[in-house]
Amino acid sequence: MTDTETDGKRFARSGRSDASGDSDASGRSWRPAPSWRPAIAMAGRNLRRNRIRTVLAVLGVCIGVLAVATLGIFGNVLALGADDAIGDVGTQIVLSPNADAGIESLSDADVAEIRRAVGEPAVIPLYTDGALVSGATDQTFTTVYGVEEPGLAFEAAEGRLPERHRQGAIVGAGIASDLGVGVGDTVEIEGAQIRIVAVLAETQTFSPVAPDDAVFLPESAFAADGYDQVLVVSESGGEAREAAESIRESVNAREDRVDIFELAALVDEIDEFFDLLGTFLLGLGAISLVVAGVSILNVMLMSTVERRQEIGVMRAVGIRKRDVLRVLLAEAGLIGAIGAVLGTVLTALIVLGFLFATPAETAVVLDPTNGYYLLLALVFGVGVGLISGAYPAWKAASERPVEALRD
Amino acid sequence: MARTAGMYSLELRGVDKQYAGGVKPVIALDDVDFAVEPGEFVAVVGPSGSGKSTLLNVCGLLDDPTGGRRLIDGTDVTNLSERERTAARKESIGFVFQDFHLIPTLSAVENVALPTAFDPGDATDRAADLLDRFGLGDRLDHDPTELSGGQKQRVAIARSLINEPDLLLADEPTGNLDTETGEAILGEFERVRADGVAVVAVTHDELVEEYADRVVELTDGVLSGGVRVDDRERDGDGNDSEAADPDFPWLAGDGGEP
Repeated sequence: MTDTETDGKRFARSGRSDASGDSDASGRSWRPAPSWRPAIAMAGRNLRRNRIRTVLAVLGVCIGVLAVATLGIFGNVLALGADDAIGDVGTQIVLSPNADAGIESLSDADVAEIRRAVGEPAVIPLYTDGALVSGATDQTFTTVYGVEEPGLAFEAAEGRLPERHRQGAIVGAGIASDLGVGVGDTVEIEGAQIRIVAVLAETQTFSPVAPDDAVFLPESAFAADGYDQVLVVSESGGEAREAAESIRESVNAREDRVDIFELAALVDEIDEFFDLLGTFLLGLGAISLVVAGVSILNVMLMSTVERRQEIGVMRAVGIRKRDVLRVLLAEAGLIGAIGAVLGTVLTALIVLGFLFATPAETAVVLDPTNGYYLLLALVFGVGVGLISGAYPAWKAASERPVEALRD
Repeated sequence: MARTAGMYSLELRGVDKQYAGGVKPVIALDDVDFAVEPGEFVAVVGPSGSGKSTLLNVCGLLDDPTGGRRLIDGTDVTNLSERERTAARKESIGFVFQDFHLIPTLSAVENVALPTAFDPGDATDRAADLLDRFGLGDRLDHDPTELSGGQKQRVAIARSLINEPDLLLADEPTGNLDTETGEAILGEFERVRADGVAVVAVTHDELVEEYADRVVELTDGVLSGGVRVDDRERDGDGNDSEAADPDFPWLAGDGGEP
C-alpha cells in the first residue's frame, strides 16, 4: 500500500496496455481522463437515462433564465429609452437676470464671468423678444432670439448654420412647416423682409428655449443693452450640474445675479426610478430562477436516491468520493448550463423579434449593456444548477458504501 | 514490497465487530481469526444473520472492525482514514456481487474499466483484454441489459481484476445463476486464483464449497476453521515478538520459516 508499490503497479499496467495498444479502442467516445472529462461523460449518460425528467428540469432553468434576461433587458431598454428622450433636458441650463435683485439684463461682463465659471460647456447668450412672423400665406406670433453662434447649440436640417450669424433668419422646424417656408424663402418680421439661411432640425427632446417654435436672428437685429438669457449646453447631465454649481459659487457668490433653470435633478429622479424598476423586474425574473433551482434539487435528490446502490458500487470499487461528487455536480451543472444556453438564445431571438415588431429604436435595443443581462442570466442559470446540485451530490457521495449496497 | 513466503493475502486477528443495538450491542463478529494465502479459494458458509456480510465488509475495507487487527498483503490496514480505505480497496481488493451491480449506462468494457475511470490514462485496452480472457471479446460494447446473467457476472469478475488485486471478495457469486452457469463462473475463479489472487466467497451454494480449497463456517459471529491447522500451530510464538515490527508482528516471529 506504499507509494512505491502503487507506482510499481501503475508502471506495470501502462506497460501492458502499450503492448496491446493497437486494439479497436481508438474510436471509442468514452475515454477516462484525469480532469472533469470522465465525470461529464458519465453525467451526460445519466441525464439521458430519464430523458423526460431531464428535459423538464432543463425547461425550468430555461424559463428562469429567459425571465431574468428578458425582464432585465426590458427594464434596461426602458431606462435607455427614457434617457434618450429626456437626456438633453438635463444637459441644458438656462440663466436669466434676477429681476428680484433689480437686474434687468446680462452684460458682456456677466457673460464673460459665466464663461469663466463653467469652463468646458458652450455658453450662448441670447436676446429674446416676441414678434409676428409672416410667410407667403400664413403668419404666426413667435419667440425671436438674437444669437451670434447658433452652431454651438443647434443643428440645421436644411442649409448651413453660419459660424457667426451676421445676416438672414434661422427658423425652427415647427415654424418652417407652419408657414410653409424653406431655405431661400423670405419671411417678414416686424416689417422687415429677411431671407431664411437655414432651417433647424426638429429637436427630439424638451429644451428650455423651445427652438422648434422660434426664429433666430443676428444679434445686430436687436437694439437692447444686455442679454435676456444665457444658454449653457453641456455634454452630460453631470457636467451641467457642475456648471450650475460653479455659477452659484462665482457669479452668484455675493448676490443672486442670475436665476438658474436646470433640470438635472429631475433627470436624476427619473434615472433612480428606472433603476428601481429594473431591479424590481430582475427580482421577478430571479423568482422563477429560484423555482428552477428547486426543481433541479428535486431531480437530483430523486435520481441519487434511485441510484444509491450504483453510487455505492462506484465507491466500493475504489472511486474516490470527490470523483463521485464530480459526476453528480456535472449532472446538475449540465442541466443548468443547457437550460441557461437555451434561455439565452431564446431571449436573443425575442429581443430581435421585438426589434422588428415594434418601433423601438435599434440603438436602444442593441445597446451593449443588454448583453450584460444576457451574460448575467447565463451565469445565474449555471450557478443555480451547481448550487442546487451541491447538496444532493454531497449527500449521495458521502454515504458509506456499506450502507448504500445494503439491499 | 516483495511478497514474503508465508505472507497472507488477507489476515484478520482477533477481530470483533459490534453494532450499537437497542439495550446491548449486537455482536456480529466475535474474536475472528481468519487468514487466506495467495491463490487460495476459501468459501465462507453459515446461516443468514451469522455475520457473513459483516465479515466480507470488514475484509473488503468497507467497514472497520471494532477490535482486532486486519492486514492485507502483510500491511496493517486496521485503522485507515476513509480516503486511504478507498485507495486501498481500489489497489488491492476486487468485489463480485450477487446482483452483479454493473452500471447500466456503461458498456461492458466501460464497466470493467470503471474503477480506473478517473485515473490518468486509458484502461480500455486492459479492460478489453480481460473481457477477451473471459470469452466476452465480442461483447465489449454491449450494454449490461444485452448480456445474460453469466455474462454479467463475467464482466463483474473482469471489473474486479482491472487493478490486479491481491484479494477477490465474492458475495453469493452464483446466487442468481443456474447451476451450469454457476459452474462456469467457479471455473473462472479457478483461473483467477491460478494467478495468485486469493478468493473469498460468502455462499449458500454447495457447488461453491466443492470448488473451494477450504470451507469455513460462521455461526453467530464465531468463525471455525478460519486459520489452517498448521498455520495455527505456527502462531503459538507470534505474540512475544510484537515489538519487533509493529506492522508485521507475527512475521517477525515466523520470518525464518519457509
